[in-house]
Amino acid sequence: MNSVFSQMAVLGSSLTLIFGLILLWRRSVHAYVTAFLWQSLVLAGVVATVAYFHRDPELYFVAALLLLLKGLVIPRLLRRMEQRYGAERELQPYVNTATSLLISGLLVLFAYALARPLVALSQLPTRAGIPLALGLIFVSLFVIASRKKALTQVIGFLMLENGIALLAVLGTYGIPLVVEIGVFLDLLLGFIVMQIFIYRIRETFESSDVDQLGRLRH
Amino acid sequence: MIVFALLLLPPLLAAVLAALVRPYRPFVGWVTALLSLAPLGAAVALWARALQGDVLTAGPGEFLRADGLSVLLALCVSFVAGLAAWLGPGLAAEDGYHDPERRSYRVYSNLFAFTMLLAVTTHNVGVMWVAIEATTITSAMLVPLHVTKASVEASWKYILIGSVGIALAFVGTVLGYFDFVNLAGEQASALNWTVLVASAPSLHAEVLKLAFVFILIGYGTKAGLAPMHTWLPDAHSESPSPLSAMMSGVLLGVAIYAIVRWKTVVDAAVGPAFTDRLLIALSLVSLVISAFSLIAQRNYKRMLAYSSIEHTGLTCLGLALGPLGVFAAMLHMVNHAVAKSMMFLLAGRVQQRYQTTGIAQVAGLARVMPVTAGFFAAGMFAIVGLPPFGLFISEFALVRAGFAAGRGWLMGLVLLLLVVAFVALVRHLNRMLYGAPPDATPIGEREPWALVPLGLCLLILLALGLLLPSPVSQLLDQVVEITTQ
Repeated sequence: MNSVFSQMAVLGSSLTLIFGLILLWRRSVHAYVTAFLWQSLVLAGVVATVAYFHRDPELYFVAALLLLLKGLVIPRLLRRMEQRYGAERELQPYVNTATSLLISGLLVLFAYALARPLVALSQLPTRAGIPLALGLIFVSLFVIASRKKALTQVIGFLMLENGIALLAVLGTYGIPLVVEIGVFLDLLLGFIVMQIFIYRIRETFESSDVDQLGRLRH
Repeated sequence: MIVFALLLLPPLLAAVLAALVRPYRPFVGWVTALLSLAPLGAAVALWARALQGDVLTAGPGEFLRADGLSVLLALCVSFVAGLAAWLGPGLAAEDGYHDPERRSYRVYSNLFAFTMLLAVTTHNVGVMWVAIEATTITSAMLVPLHVTKASVEASWKYILIGSVGIALAFVGTVLGYFDFVNLAGEQASALNWTVLVASAPSLHAEVLKLAFVFILIGYGTKAGLAPMHTWLPDAHSESPSPLSAMMSGVLLGVAIYAIVRWKTVVDAAVGPAFTDRLLIALSLVSLVISAFSLIAQRNYKRMLAYSSIEHTGLTCLGLALGPLGVFAAMLHMVNHAVAKSMMFLLAGRVQQRYQTTGIAQVAGLARVMPVTAGFFAAGMFAIVGLPPFGLFISEFALVRAGFAAGRGWLMGLVLLLLVVAFVALVRHLNRMLYGAPPDATPIGEREPWALVPLGLCLLILLALGLLLPSPVSQLLDQVVEITTQ
């Protein structure tokens, strides 16, 4: 039974990482939102799986919250932004696709090296997924740093949050509920503020390329 | 219990009131300003209790806890939040803001104060993270109070870099929790700071070290440590001045507070050498970058912002220099909170008069606004570390702690960088004070009552520099004891 559990955890973590990589080779924001949506669904699935095998009702609640927030509310808001600006495309990122994929491969390797003490220490059947979660965190950071569209950066940030949530559920079977709820609240509010700012950027700069944001130097 | 309620609820109440009254009315400003005094009173009460050796707790599972370190930060936050409430938009008739802007200022600045106070009084390091993340959200809303290209850009950088940085601090928090859970199993109290410190000696060195790297990068981003500081000069210079005062004066301190909490846990597990090395490296980078950026500044608010990076660097450096260094660092943080918030509020007065933030465009300040200019000059002498102000004492103590810790070369370099910053700042000050003012600039102080609280800041800086009152030094002694257990 534990081996089924462990395999499901690794499968889930791999899928979340792969959905994260989509940001590197697709160009349209539409595809990014879809990738984020599916990643969140898989993440909620992983949390529910842990809840089932660990018999932890609290985690079912967390999975439901995740589904509601990252599977429904945020993707819907993202779609609305996308429609408002027509089909946005990430045409010229700072780093091209081939190099991006190469760097991400290295980042995942780095995550494996970094996670060795964690995997060695943990007794949980889910531990094999920990390096993948760290990998997703690093890849998301890279996306934020190397992409120009404000919306892409926001999706990168949301995926970073997914990576952390994955790390927490695989490594510790979930952080205490008070903190978890606080994190969800922060995420929602932070996202709403970012959304307001994107609208402002569009209004004041007539583009959402953060390239344009170069007035403040020194 | 009541004292915690007085500390945390008034800012929330003020925010709700300001949100409900629509459109903005001047009484909202006065009521929220009066409410801002309650947390200050509560912080002083906590201070008195702390000096008697009491550590107050409240809430289920000791949710709130105020030891010496928390009290020190609560005092700074409530003092600066009070300043920002009394001198912020919404009280004076002609403050250069419209009613909707005044209303948002009153809503978000109070929420901002609440999140900072919660961050420094919660016992749970997870909730502390939630509160610090919330400080980014609440303060970012106010950065573009005047919507301009520059302020929109600054707010975007701030929220993105701030949120990403703080997310990394959360990775560190999760790793710390991971270590604990592997040792002791799942427990609701596992993220309580005292529980973490108590169990630290049996936690795993490698995992905790990894956690601390994430935590230092994460909270270091919020504290303005280089090279993660890039958002800071933009956000602090484009914000309305009272918000800059809160951000530069105490938000940086709150982020440093979070680093200190975790440093204590990690030090208890692996000894201080590891965290000290990391802190020294980042502080040194911050000092170098800020000292040389100060030379090139053309904007006085950016100049003050870079000076904040310098002082963050000094504070973090002190933390790495043993118990004497921690004492100096914490004193320095208090001094900086008072001095920098005063400077940003004065800069706001200057900006309102000259309608520019360019150093070259501000000339003849000594003639246009003599009192403001006098305060500005005194404050500038304070932040460059001249006697008789408090920052001289704390920088002196810091350097002495460094020599005592056997880091003579490092201290020599630090002194050199302090001289660079000194020369740059005094030169800029000179250009602003003298010369012929632009033709259309009206002469004379407006709203002179606003100078009273700023004069109080100056008195505090003098008191900290000349006598270092014993209630302050006793509290700092407690902080040293807490962080070096």
